[in-house]
Amino acid sequence: MKEALYESIAEAVLDGAASQVVSLVNQAVSEGCPAGEILNNALIAGMNEVGVLFKDGEMFVPEVLVSAKSLQAGLEIIRPALGAAGVKSAGKVLAATVEGDLHDIGIKLVGMMLEGAGFEVVNIGVDKSAREIVDKVKELKPDVLGMSAMLTTTMANMKEVIDLLKEESLYDGLPIMIGGAPTSPMYAEKLGCRYSADASEAVIIAKQLTDMA
Amino acid sequence: MAHKRSQKIRPVYNGGFYTPLTDDGVAQIHNTSMDVFERVGIKIAYKPVLELWRKAGAEIDEEKMIARIDRNIVAKCVETAPKEITLCGRDSRHDLVLSGTRTYMGTGGTALNILDLYTGERRPTTIRDVAAAARVVDACDDIEFFVITCFPCELQKPVVDVNRFYAAINNTSKHVMGGVYTVDGVRKLARMAELIAGSKDAFKARPFMSMITCIMSPLLLDRDYTALMETACLMGIPLATPCAPMAGSTSPGTLAGTLVQMNVEALAGIVTTQLLNPGHPTLYSVVPTTTDLRTGAFCFGSVEMGMMNAAAAQIARYYNLPIYNTAGPSEAKIPDSQSAYEPAINVLLSAMAGANYIHDAAGLLESGLSIALQTYVIDNDIAGMARRVLAGITVDPDRLAAECIERVGPGGNYLGDDHTTAHMRDEFFYPTLADRKPRMVWESEGKLSTEERARHIAMKYLEDHKPMPIDAVIDSQIRKEFPEMLAETGKIYNE
Repeated sequence: MKEALYESIAEAVLDGAASQVVSLVNQAVSEGCPAGEILNNALIAGMNEVGVLFKDGEMFVPEVLVSAKSLQAGLEIIRPALGAAGVKSAGKVLAATVEGDLHDIGIKLVGMMLEGAGFEVVNIGVDKSAREIVDKVKELKPDVLGMSAMLTTTMANMKEVIDLLKEESLYDGLPIMIGGAPTSPMYAEKLGCRYSADASEAVIIAKQLTDMA
Repeated sequence: MAHKRSQKIRPVYNGGFYTPLTDDGVAQIHNTSMDVFERVGIKIAYKPVLELWRKAGAEIDEEKMIARIDRNIVAKCVETAPKEITLCGRDSRHDLVLSGTRTYMGTGGTALNILDLYTGERRPTTIRDVAAAARVVDACDDIEFFVITCFPCELQKPVVDVNRFYAAINNTSKHVMGGVYTVDGVRKLARMAELIAGSKDAFKARPFMSMITCIMSPLLLDRDYTALMETACLMGIPLATPCAPMAGSTSPGTLAGTLVQMNVEALAGIVTTQLLNPGHPTLYSVVPTTTDLRTGAFCFGSVEMGMMNAAAAQIARYYNLPIYNTAGPSEAKIPDSQSAYEPAINVLLSAMAGANYIHDAAGLLESGLSIALQTYVIDNDIAGMARRVLAGITVDPDRLAAECIERVGPGGNYLGDDHTTAHMRDEFFYPTLADRKPRMVWESEGKLSTEERARHIAMKYLEDHKPMPIDAVIDSQIRKEFPEMLAETGKIYNE
């Protein structure tokens, strides 16, 4: 009975039907289902199926985002209960586009995909200086820092952020991931961080980084 | 579920917006063509048809077997020819309704060699290659009909017709058209068509196969082909009667002059079939090409060929006749840049011109002498892009997206908006082959060239694709009635 309800929630996430997700999650809560189970066996399970269909080319990016939004809608309902039960989110990701760079579609897309995978994402926006980013790291204590750059000229500013983190002893224990057209695995390795080629790979990398943490 | 692609009826798109000729130009080509019918005439090297033209009122030069015919008689024959011809698939989703500016693209033939998909070696084609090409084409969404692409070189001429058609029909439910080689073969194919359709009338109502009998340039109805044309007509099988003038060698060295001669030859096919069987479904059928006068080489991919085939669509519409024209082969010897850019330009021009039945639009290399199965995969993307051009840009309140722009606002993004989701599957063409991956992914997948990826896709189609089968009872009946049908006919390489 419980399983059938979880399956319906997963289906609703797959179909991107936010209002249906909300009513089904409310029903599950009122029937006494544990929040952790609703999260993992229903919401995340649906999103995992989305991931498979996306990889096969059956679902397109906009549909994945709609599914992610519907997962978020369900998550909002159970968030207090999750906190009370000590169930953590997959992790908190701080995201920013570095100084001098105004491109934001990449980081927004990655952010939405990460949220869909159960991460809490704080996107502080574009054109952020090393100082601003490091201050936010101190304030929010994220599990992962994500940085984006679209231009070869602004890509170098990623290094400034990392240098400043090292200077202030914040680098160790803070996994960092980067992305954007001019970046590469080689560049990431040089900086001592991880690279992902696109938004779906970013989710995989973020999961790896938080599992290690 | 919303994300599942539905098996809906394929939309049909209209061209007609590339018109290389002015209305006056078309009229001049018509008038000059009629002068040629009256003054020069057509050589008809097949007595029964020559007699038919005489009875219709043609003036006959007995010695030269040339028939000169008045323009009014030509007009009467054009009058009885169908203005719309439906060529069916065994699966009705693949029906082709040919008229006006409705546009479809498919394969052509008849090659004698194939670049083997597995070894890359160039070798003579076999009956299994006929089947394999049909199967790959059946899996290619934007190739809409199958003109039998190659000749089974290992077979003797008297058994070629039934084996070739049956190998093709077994492997695709799209419309099958093909050249024929013997009068006896045409009769047998008519019987085979009847068996598969269920009855003569059922085939006539839904003709899932048709035939090609050629007219020679310049201005010659040859004995053998015309006998085949006569038999097909009497058997009620839809016909294409293509002429293939090569500007500069078998037709005048100007595009306008070649179009005049082409028009006379194409109309000679209409006149003949209408005299044989008024109302017979015959396409206005043309293959105008050029000669490279630097060397005398035949050009099956020149840009002038693209322009003339587009012009032919305008001329056919002048007579209100559905057209079979030609675009897509090239002189390239292997799948490479030339084998893609010449077809891309030629196919797009014919599609934008609104030609109804664009044949040769996939698979042919080496001036039509060779095929390569991966080339069908490449040309499938070209045809898909051409179809997308024909679909055009729809402007309506929903697609103008005013509400959507307001909802997303400055600095937002459209990826997550419902409006994007609502339109994304229909508004864009998604290629099967084109590489749109990040460099890293491309590298990790082996840094494959387009041709190599196409080869992998073709191999996958041969492994996985299941064409609509022929009913087992009918199959055994056909094999019993035609003992010359080989056991391997219909099978591909590993079967």
